[in-house]
Amino acid sequence: MPESKELIISSSDQLLQATTRRRFLGVLAMGGSVLMLPAVFTACGDDGNGITEPGLDPRLDPDRYRLNLSNDTGILNYAYALEQLEAAYYTAALGSAGFAALSAPEKEVLSDLQKHEVIHEEFFKQVLGTAAIPKIAFNGATVASLVANRDVLLRTSQLLEDTGVSAYNGAGKYLTVAANLLVAGKIVSVEARHAAAIRDIRDGTNGRLFAGDDVVNAAGLDVKAEPGAVVTAVAGLNVLASPVSIGTGPTGTATADSPAPNPS
Amino acid sequence: MNNQPIMDAIDPEILDRLAARKEEIDNGSPARPGIVAALALASVPVALAALSRDVYGQGALPAEIKGVLDFALALEIFEDEFYKAVLGTSAVAAQNAAFATVRPLAAAVPGAVNTLQQIQKHEAAHRATLLATGATNVFNLSGSSFDFTGARGAGNGPFAKATTDLAFLLQVAQGAEDTGVRAYKGQAGILMPNKAILEAALRIHSVEARHAARIRRMRRAAAGASAIVRWSGTVRGGGAPAAGATDLGPQAAMVAAAFEAMYGAGANATNSPNEINVTQAGVNVSTLSGTGFGPEAAQEAFDEPLERADVIKIVQPFFIPMIM
Repeated sequence: MPESKELIISSSDQLLQATTRRRFLGVLAMGGSVLMLPAVFTACGDDGNGITEPGLDPRLDPDRYRLNLSNDTGILNYAYALEQLEAAYYTAALGSAGFAALSAPEKEVLSDLQKHEVIHEEFFKQVLGTAAIPKIAFNGATVASLVANRDVLLRTSQLLEDTGVSAYNGAGKYLTVAANLLVAGKIVSVEARHAAAIRDIRDGTNGRLFAGDDVVNAAGLDVKAEPGAVVTAVAGLNVLASPVSIGTGPTGTATADSPAPNPS
Repeated sequence: MNNQPIMDAIDPEILDRLAARKEEIDNGSPARPGIVAALALASVPVALAALSRDVYGQGALPAEIKGVLDFALALEIFEDEFYKAVLGTSAVAAQNAAFATVRPLAAAVPGAVNTLQQIQKHEAAHRATLLATGATNVFNLSGSSFDFTGARGAGNGPFAKATTDLAFLLQVAQGAEDTGVRAYKGQAGILMPNKAILEAALRIHSVEARHAARIRRMRRAAAGASAIVRWSGTVRGGGAPAAGATDLGPQAAMVAAAFEAMYGAGANATNSPNEINVTQAGVNVSTLSGTGFGPEAAQEAFDEPLERADVIKIVQPFFIPMIM
């Protein structure tokens, strides 16, 4: 196994293995980081060698969700992961108490968003074909808590849409094929429309939050985030049960981030 | 601000030269206005791009990229001057006077003036950012360069009703924003060789989409609005119907033709499909497995680009000088 500066511990079994312990100490000695995924605490079937044992859940295998962002396929998989998250979230939202509390115009917005995100998800799955990462598993309890009432539903929707905008805006420069950049461009403006609609709902009659000063800076530029920052922020939501991580970063020069703000 | 990654990737010798040049400018050494503006904006990518050009000479921006910036600047000046005229803050008294009737109608709708101010602020910021990035105002555009009725100076064009009718005004604003979104999308590929400028353009592009979405919601809130104008701010359908216009005014055929151009296909329908398009990267997104939502959601889920010549054809009637 090649040594890296990051060690992801995804299963409790790994903690009992000598190889894991050796790498743990090695990674610490190099000043690297050790990440224990939620699955460590719920037990799972991957022993860290990439081979899933029979009868154990492959959706918790980190090898299957490790992104290689050094090429367009990897960047599109990164987009696919984000679209899977949005699609799963809005699909859960439609039957929720939070949704039931919305007005008819607000329900139209959430229903439209659910359709668009499921279409984006299925589109990426189709164009990536066999190169696509597998379906991501979600933490049902966390998702349920994020659709439980109108306020948390709208705040979470705003965060997801702004995060989507920031992710596409930050990843576009890493795409090398113009047709891929165009597809990303066709989607990001729709995400920006979504973000504006959700923000406008939360704004009441103020009329400025749709493109508020918290997302559009003094140079008139929208949010933007590098993939590493987005993956870390999404992991922090605790909605992903599958361990999505970045194995190889993008090729090129990172720029300073203006990340999606936490909705107040 | 975390600017470590970009600094790491630049040769230390180049950084020293850039830093020395910034110090000279800070201490009063003459520099092009764009560089001073970029430094004042405190945008690291923009400032670095501008300083690099200053240190290494004017030839650094390839003509294709310079051409995109100049074109984008013309569109931003148009939008900025349009909203200033609507708000009554144009430097040109006649432009302010033209919208005197509709202004109080906007002020009567809660949030409407705030929205117009917010949008105008962004268009002005885009104008400054593009200048700082290397764009030139090649058509010498100013507040007096526009005829917002769409008659190239005659003042009696098909969009004159926007000066007296709020619903009509918002239809025009929506069209301008959606055209801006399509225009930036159509130029992105040309910017690929310059990552800093591409990223700035993408970040302007999504701001225009936010604007378009909010204006759609303002229109949908009005009595008698069509459900084609989605509360989600997305574009349903294509061609003139996608504008969701309820009133085409006294020169209806010309307004309908303009909306057709704004939401229809460009001269090259492969490069610039009609907004009704549902084929993306060769995939029919209206029949994907696991969806089954019908064509409308598939049309809404993807926005379409327009090429430069298509955009110029749409906006030329509002510009008094030729911008071909």
